[in-house]
Amino acid sequence: MQNKIERYIPLIVTVGQVVIFPYYIVWLKEVSFSYTLFAWLFATFSFAAAWGYRFFQSRGEKPRSFITSVYVAMGVVYIVVGYWKLLIEYLPYVALMTQIVLGFLQGYFRAWHTKQRSYHVHAINHYLIVGVIMIALSFMKVVSPSIFLTVFGIILCMCGIWEVVRRKKFRNSC
Amino acid sequence: MKKITKFMKKPWFLGILVFAMAIVVIWNIPIEKRKYGFSQSGLATDYTGLLPERIEKVVNVHNRNELQRIVQEANKKGKHISIAGLQHSQGGHTYYKDGIVLDMRRFNRILEVNEQAKTVRVESGASWEDVQEAVTPYGLALQVTQSQSIFTIGGSLSVNAHGRDIRFGPMAETVREMTVLTPTGEIKHLTRDDSEEWMTYILGGYGLFGVILDVTLNLTENEVYTIHTEEIETGKYESYLHRVLENQNIAMHYARISVAPGTFLDEMYVIDYNRTRKQAKITSLKEEEGVRVSKFALDLGRKGGKLEDLFWESQRLYINSIDGKTITRNNAMRSESTFMEFTTPGRVEVLQEFFIPVDSYEEYMKSLKDLLPHNDQDEDFKVHNITVRYAAKDHMTSLPYAKEDMLGLVVLIQHGLKEKEIAHAKTMIQKWTDVTLQYGGTYYLPYYPYQTKEQFKESYPNWKNFKEQKAERDPNGVFVNLFYDHYMK
Repeated sequence: MQNKIERYIPLIVTVGQVVIFPYYIVWLKEVSFSYTLFAWLFATFSFAAAWGYRFFQSRGEKPRSFITSVYVAMGVVYIVVGYWKLLIEYLPYVALMTQIVLGFLQGYFRAWHTKQRSYHVHAINHYLIVGVIMIALSFMKVVSPSIFLTVFGIILCMCGIWEVVRRKKFRNSC
Repeated sequence: MKKITKFMKKPWFLGILVFAMAIVVIWNIPIEKRKYGFSQSGLATDYTGLLPERIEKVVNVHNRNELQRIVQEANKKGKHISIAGLQHSQGGHTYYKDGIVLDMRRFNRILEVNEQAKTVRVESGASWEDVQEAVTPYGLALQVTQSQSIFTIGGSLSVNAHGRDIRFGPMAETVREMTVLTPTGEIKHLTRDDSEEWMTYILGGYGLFGVILDVTLNLTENEVYTIHTEEIETGKYESYLHRVLENQNIAMHYARISVAPGTFLDEMYVIDYNRTRKQAKITSLKEEEGVRVSKFALDLGRKGGKLEDLFWESQRLYINSIDGKTITRNNAMRSESTFMEFTTPGRVEVLQEFFIPVDSYEEYMKSLKDLLPHNDQDEDFKVHNITVRYAAKDHMTSLPYAKEDMLGLVVLIQHGLKEKEIAHAKTMIQKWTDVTLQYGGTYYLPYYPYQTKEQFKESYPNWKNFKEQKAERDPNGVFVNLFYDHYMK
């Protein structure tokens, strides 16, 4: 059971990130005003991801990887984006912050994930699962991208809690 | 190189890079956030995006009972309702602050095509394209519609639109019967001899007198026409048009005026559609053609100066190339529109239309030459296109733009979105309107209201009656929009 959880959480996170991407793009496009700003926000995301990736690498292989906090933090960002009704005045600034935070966390997560035993199995599975989910979503009447973003945020937070519980049980059993 | 790569991978360097990028982004986030094309949940705009407004909700309309319930409830609770179709109007006609928007696009069934009576009965959310697809197999065509088929029936009738036809009068006159939902929530079936004159106020009523549910439109034959094109001097157009109107063999007509610096308001192309008395056998409708080429040419013209001259030349080639070709009536009424798409951040393209009595055209054009810069390359306010349409005298609606037989000058204008740029555009358009009024002309109301209330009142002297009837027929002020706010409140 412990092994299954260890295997499935990163897969859920990876698949979820790809599936949620189109909805996140819709939100980001709405708050970007122009293509230039839209592209620059993505550039910021990319640089932040490189930073997050490198940050993980520079810490070396430590037993505590903060991955639980990464799940929860990513979840909170998606919930904020999906649920929080912000004034138009502040939306682009919030978008910039979320791009930096999400970029950093995703870079960190990716770097951590590549070090896991199950990474290569996930790589194939996640492509297949994403394909199936995207086809299924195409038949759904989307009420609002914000609902999907919020739901995914909650799932990520649950993954974080799940991971904490798993580790606690693991420590107690040792 | 290795050293640079190594350096770039330092976490502190990447951190600084992210910080620097964030500063650049923050610096470039515009101060004025309500821009062209911007929308978010609960915020509505129309085609230009110039008038964003927060609305309460959008209701996708499916059936008339649901509509009736919404209107009755709005009367009880003091809510405001606006009606939206494909939202090509440009003056906030389809929404209102904190109001309910009825999205009519799914209320779009073709209810009946009567081949013998030559009529079509259709729900108001259908587009002209939907109607053309329904009637073409019967060899029938619309009597009056706009040059493009991208608008809804309800929207076009609410602005009493016009197009290239010169024989059937205003669009309102092609309506045989209609069913409406009045502002108090009553469903009424109307005919032309309705003693309460609901049609007078609903047609060309800008969505302020209730919801058009369905209409029965008169049709004509989908005849084959031969296109005749000619290049003429602006000074000779008036007499040319009189010959066109006298020649019953010409069914449709429009013209284009040069706005290129080299021939500014001096040259025109005229396009006539001559009857062949043959009914079209083909049942297919043409799709948009040459969009990329047309867009490229228009974008060149948008640069102004010599490139605008080049654009006018390219139009000359095109106009010459279609001379003598044949086209069906339905196809002549569905010109391309996608190529006009304009999405440059910080700028907007808007339409304005000025109506001028036919016999005042030549003098009017001379006055326009004094008003407008011949070469607008370095100007913020740019005129990209002027198309001329004939608009026959309107005897039917309450706010008629064609008080007599008029020529409508449809003007495509581009200007910036900064406060002072909008103010400058406003000044220019108000001056243009003043010149138009001096010649007994009017301006069209579906567009952004650059004009003053005084100019509105002068253009539409019947406005008081319109306002009184509005108060009488909509006592709770249920049907409102930004257009109403600007001119009538």
